Amino acid sequence: MKDYAMGVDFGSTTGKTAILDRDGKLVAACIASMGAVSGEGVQASISGALKQAGITQDDIGFCVTTGYGRRMLDISQKSYTEITCHARGAVALVPNARLVIDIGGQDSKVIAVDANGLVETFAMNDRCAAGTGKFLEVLARAVDVDLEKMGGVALGARQELKISSMCATFAETEVISLLAEGHSKPDVLGAVHAAIAARTAGLVGRVGKRLPVVMTGGVAKNVAAVHHIEKALNTKLTLPEDPQIAGALGAALFAMDEIRAAYKLAAVNIDEDDRHVDAAVEDARACGTAACKAPAADAGSAGVTTAPLKPRQQLQAELATK
Amino acid sequence: MQTATTAKKANRLTSTKLGGQIVHDYWSDLFNAKEEGRKVVWYNGTYIPPMFHTMDLRWVHGEAWSAYLAAKHGELPAQKAGEDRGYVRELCSYARTHIGSALMDLRAAHERLAVDPTDERALTMSKLPPPDMLVNAYPYCSSGQQWDEQIYRLFGKKIPIFNLSIPMLWGGRQDAGYLRGKEWEERSKYVAMQLRALAGFLEEHTGRKFEWDRLSEIMAYIKKAAELRLEAMEVCTVKPSPASYFDWIVSIAHVNFLPGTQRIVDYFQAVKDEIQQRAARGEGAVPKEKYRVFFDGMMNWNKIGWLAEKFAAADTAVVAGRYTHMSFWQEPGLIDLADPIPGMAQNYLICPNNHGAPIMIGEIDRLCDKYNLDGVVLHASRTCRGMTNSQFQIAESARKHGRQSMIFEGDVVDESFYKDELLNTRLEAMIESMDSRKRQAAA
Repeated sequence: MKDYAMGVDFGSTTGKTAILDRDGKLVAACIASMGAVSGEGVQASISGALKQAGITQDDIGFCVTTGYGRRMLDISQKSYTEITCHARGAVALVPNARLVIDIGGQDSKVIAVDANGLVETFAMNDRCAAGTGKFLEVLARAVDVDLEKMGGVALGARQELKISSMCATFAETEVISLLAEGHSKPDVLGAVHAAIAARTAGLVGRVGKRLPVVMTGGVAKNVAAVHHIEKALNTKLTLPEDPQIAGALGAALFAMDEIRAAYKLAAVNIDEDDRHVDAAVEDARACGTAACKAPAADAGSAGVTTAPLKPRQQLQAELATK
Repeated sequence: MQTATTAKKANRLTSTKLGGQIVHDYWSDLFNAKEEGRKVVWYNGTYIPPMFHTMDLRWVHGEAWSAYLAAKHGELPAQKAGEDRGYVRELCSYARTHIGSALMDLRAAHERLAVDPTDERALTMSKLPPPDMLVNAYPYCSSGQQWDEQIYRLFGKKIPIFNLSIPMLWGGRQDAGYLRGKEWEERSKYVAMQLRALAGFLEEHTGRKFEWDRLSEIMAYIKKAAELRLEAMEVCTVKPSPASYFDWIVSIAHVNFLPGTQRIVDYFQAVKDEIQQRAARGEGAVPKEKYRVFFDGMMNWNKIGWLAEKFAAADTAVVAGRYTHMSFWQEPGLIDLADPIPGMAQNYLICPNNHGAPIMIGEIDRLCDKYNLDGVVLHASRTCRGMTNSQFQIAESARKHGRQSMIFEGDVVDESFYKDELLNTRLEAMIESMDSRKRQAAA
C-alpha cells in the first residue's frame, strides 16, 4: 500500500526523515548526524525511518524534500524550502504557534505563521555564520568543551560578559582573549550564548514579535541558547518534544497533501465514472440490455427478462474510449 | 517548487539592444576626449550631465564607470587596488572601484607603465581620461560626498572641485508630501541656486560663457525621452507585463548620464513602440506570468542576466522598482524649457532615497497598487546602506498591504558579497508562500 508520506530534511549537518501513515499519524522520525550535506548521512536517516515504520521505500506514496540538499535526492517528488516546511511542521507540533525560531547548522530563521501553518513573513541570517549552530560549534572548539555539553556548562555562568562580534572568527578571538584574562569557561560560554540570542532577537525584530513563540532546529536542544533567547525576547519559548524534526515533518505533511489530493482526484474521477455508469445502467434498464436504446416496455417489469449487465470495469473502459 | 530545473527564459525587449550603440558611442567619445582637446569632468551623484553637455565637456559618472567595469567583469583589479591602498571592503563598492581605478591610473602615470596589450582588463582600465574638474552632486549619501573628497585628495588637491549640495526632504512638517509643502519649495530654490552657481564654476574653468539656450535645447530632448519612458512604463500595468524591471535597468544610462540628443528620444520611442506591440499581442516579459513583484534596492550590476532568468524561471515578472521607477527625470512635467533650472533642481531632489521614509514608502506602495503587484523583493546591498536602511519598513508596509516580501543580501558591483543560493532559498520561499495563499483563497 503506497499510503505512507515521507518528508526528508537534507540539512547542512544532519539528515532528518519523518514518515506519516494514511491517517496522518507520525510513525517514524529519524535523525542522522553527518558531514556537510552528506548523501550517506541523509540515506542513513531515510533507512532508519523506514525501519522504524516497518515499511520499505515502495510503501511511500509521495516524498517531499527540504533543506540545503533538497534537490539532490532521487526519491524526491517535490521540494520546498526549509522556511515553508519548518512553518508547517512547527504548527503541526504546536498548533497555536505564531512565530517560529529555527536555528540550524548553517542558518537561522524567524518565521511568522498563520493558524494554518502558512508563512506570513520571514527573516534569515545573512551569509555569515552569525547566529547559527556553526557559530556555537566554532566557539565550543575554542573553549574546548563538547558541543553537546556547552549549553549545560554555560548555564553555570556567574558573571555577565559580553562578546560584541557577531562574526564567528572575530568572536573566537574575543573568546580566547577572555579566557586569557582568566574568566571561567562557564562565564565565557554564557557570553557566547547571549551573543547568539542577541542576533536572534534582531531577526525577531525584523519580522515582528508574535506569541506564542516556538523554537525548532538543533540549537533548540541547547538549554543555554533557549535560556538566553527567552531572556532577550522576554518571552517563554515553547519547545516541541523533538525540535529537530520540524522541517522533515512539514515536508511529510506536504507529501500527505499530495497523496490526499491524488485520492480526492481519484474519487472525483470515480464519481464521474459512476455518473456515466449510472446513466448507462438507467439506459440499460429501459429495456433490459445495456446496448438497447429502445424505450422501456410499458408492461411493467414483472415479465421482463433483464439481461446481465456488463462488468462495471468493462463498461468504464468502453465509456473512456468514447 | 523546483524552479531551478525549469527552462522558462526571460523575454527581454529587443529594442533595448539599440541603446547599446548609444552607450558604446558615449564611452568612445569619453575615451577620446583628450585627443579631441575636450576637458573632462568626473562627477558623482545625480543626473547633472546637461550642465556639462552645454559646455561641450566630456563627463565620467563614477558609479557608471564602476558598473561599466563590473558589466565587463573588469572591476576586480580596481577593487583590489582600492583595498591594497587601505579602503576597506565595507566601503561603497562603487567608490572603492572608482577610487581603485584612479589609483591604478596614477600609478601607471607615475611609473610610466605601458599597458600590456593582451590584458583586456588593464586595457579597459587605462582608457579612462583623468579629470580636469570634479563635481559632486550626491543626494542622501554621505559616502558619495566623501568619495569625491577622496578623489580630490588623490589628485593632490590640484583639480578644481564643486560640491552641489542636495539636502534631504525630511517630510516632517504638517504640510509635507510628495512634491508639496514649504520644505519642498525652499529646498527647490536652494538647489536651483546652486545649479546656477555650478554654471559659473564651469564658466570659470572653461573660459567660456554658459549658453542657457543650449541647456534648454538639451533639456527638450531629455524631457521628451523621459515622457516616452514614463508612457512606456504606464503600459506595463497590463497583465502580463510586456517589459520587466531588467529592461528598465538596461535603459538607465539613457536617462542618467548619456547626452541629451535626438538619439535618446528615438531610443525610448522604440522601447515604447515595442512595449505597446507586445501589450496588444498579450506578450509578457516572462513566458508565464504568475506573480508580479516590485524590486527594491540597488541593482547587482554583474547579475542582471542571472536575476532576469531566475525570476522568469519562477514565473515571476519583476514589474517595477525603486531604482527604475522613482528616479531619473521621473517628473518631466516640472521642467519648463524656457527656464529649465528650477525643474531640474526638483527632479534632483526627488531621488527616492532623498525623501524621509514615510513619503518614500508611500510612493512605493502607490506603485505596487498601480501595477497590481503581489510582492516586494528587497536587495539589501552590502555596501550601500543608504538605500537599505529603510528596507525593513518597506517590508513591513508591504505586509500591511497584503503583499509578501523577501530580503536578500548582495551588492552593487562587488560579487564577493553575493551568493546565488541566498536568493534561491528566499525567492522560492516567497513564491511558495504566495502559492499557499492563492490555494487557500481558491479553496
